[in-house]
Amino acid sequence: MYQTKKTYITPTSKMLDLINDNHSLLLLLQHFNIDFAVSNATVKELCSKNNVSLNVFLLVGNLYNDFYPEKVESFKVEEVKSLLTFLKNSHAFYIEDKYPELNFYLQKIKDGLSPDDFKLIEKFFNDYYSEVLDHFKYEDEIVFPYFCSLINNSSIPTTAISVEEYRNHHTDIETKLTDLKNLFLKHISIKNELSAKRKFLNSLFELEFDLTIHSIIEEKILIPLVEKIESERNG
Amino acid sequence: MDKERKNIVIIEPSPIVFEGISASIAKRENGYSFFWLENIDEISILQQQKRISIILINPAIIQNRLQEFVKVKNQFPEIYWIGILYSFFDSHILTTLNDTFSITDSISIVIKKINKICKDSTSKLNYNEDLSKREIDVLKLLAKGFSNKEIADKLNISIHTVMSHRKNIMDKTGIRSLPGLTIFAVTKKIITLE
Repeated sequence: MYQTKKTYITPTSKMLDLINDNHSLLLLLQHFNIDFAVSNATVKELCSKNNVSLNVFLLVGNLYNDFYPEKVESFKVEEVKSLLTFLKNSHAFYIEDKYPELNFYLQKIKDGLSPDDFKLIEKFFNDYYSEVLDHFKYEDEIVFPYFCSLINNSSIPTTAISVEEYRNHHTDIETKLTDLKNLFLKHISIKNELSAKRKFLNSLFELEFDLTIHSIIEEKILIPLVEKIESERNG
Repeated sequence: MDKERKNIVIIEPSPIVFEGISASIAKRENGYSFFWLENIDEISILQQQKRISIILINPAIIQNRLQEFVKVKNQFPEIYWIGILYSFFDSHILTTLNDTFSITDSISIVIKKINKICKDSTSKLNYNEDLSKREIDVLKLLAKGFSNKEIADKLNISIHTVMSHRKNIMDKTGIRSLPGLTIFAVTKKIITLE
């Protein structure tokens, strides 16, 4: 949504040009622990300097630029580590940055709503947030360690993950986020506080954009990889 | 993500053509999944598992089986049929299809056609945003926490009808979760908080 031009990222693309075309790529850099002072570096140079897998960076970067991977090739163990770093950092971003920001703007629009309406919306938001926290906790404590043990070829841990359960979590989180957006865009009008409402919505859009990519990575890349490794082991 | 993925089937004997079309579209648009079939008999099996929105078809496949094709087409009126033209075909074959494109057309023309069809079918759903009286009855009970079965009993209608009202409420309001629907009902003063 932030992009103004659709550029397919290749190893020789200049990072600075890419950022100018789509500045939401700054978030991509942050999720990979890469500093924004990219100078004149190409994507390939930047990745090698920061120990990030080039293949993973291209795949995820192109998702930010709205190119959907047709086929995901298998990744090597070191590459999967980059992918997990990205996912873990995204979790930290949602928890430390995005949700507090949303909550801040939500409190700002309080005066434009009737106390009852506000109470309900606040409860909806808080319930939703604790659901999201549970989900991240589940991923950080069960899914990712399970995945690490699989790729490291160590003994299979006792807690196996249920792929189906995992997918349902995502659908639920996305549904409620869309509901929140639609409530404000279609149904709830607020007296004054337009500026705070816009910032709240902006923040929601940014979160939705990033969460969508997050889910695609987990569902289309991580889960198929897990299933592939599992079936290789059992077969 | 309220953008539900749309399923596109390509019926075409050549795997290269299938790969070419699906890959060029997938590279530019991410809301579509592609399936490859070699003939029209397999549609009914696939339609049971996936909701097919659009079928791109090589007219050569149906030119000698036109009656059979029309039968399949009538069986699934919700599917939009687009012919992939790479040679001359008789017009009576092409008029059985909803639209066509030529293999020499640019991919953006094809994408425009597909996007337009998918957008039209979604916007039709949202055409009337006002809830009907019955939908409001169902919403009131939903927001109070009653189950589908309880609502069916209270309103003297079947569970199936309750579910169909529920789906319409969600389509019209754009709100899919129960807590979200409750907020909608309160802010629209359909129910009050006790």
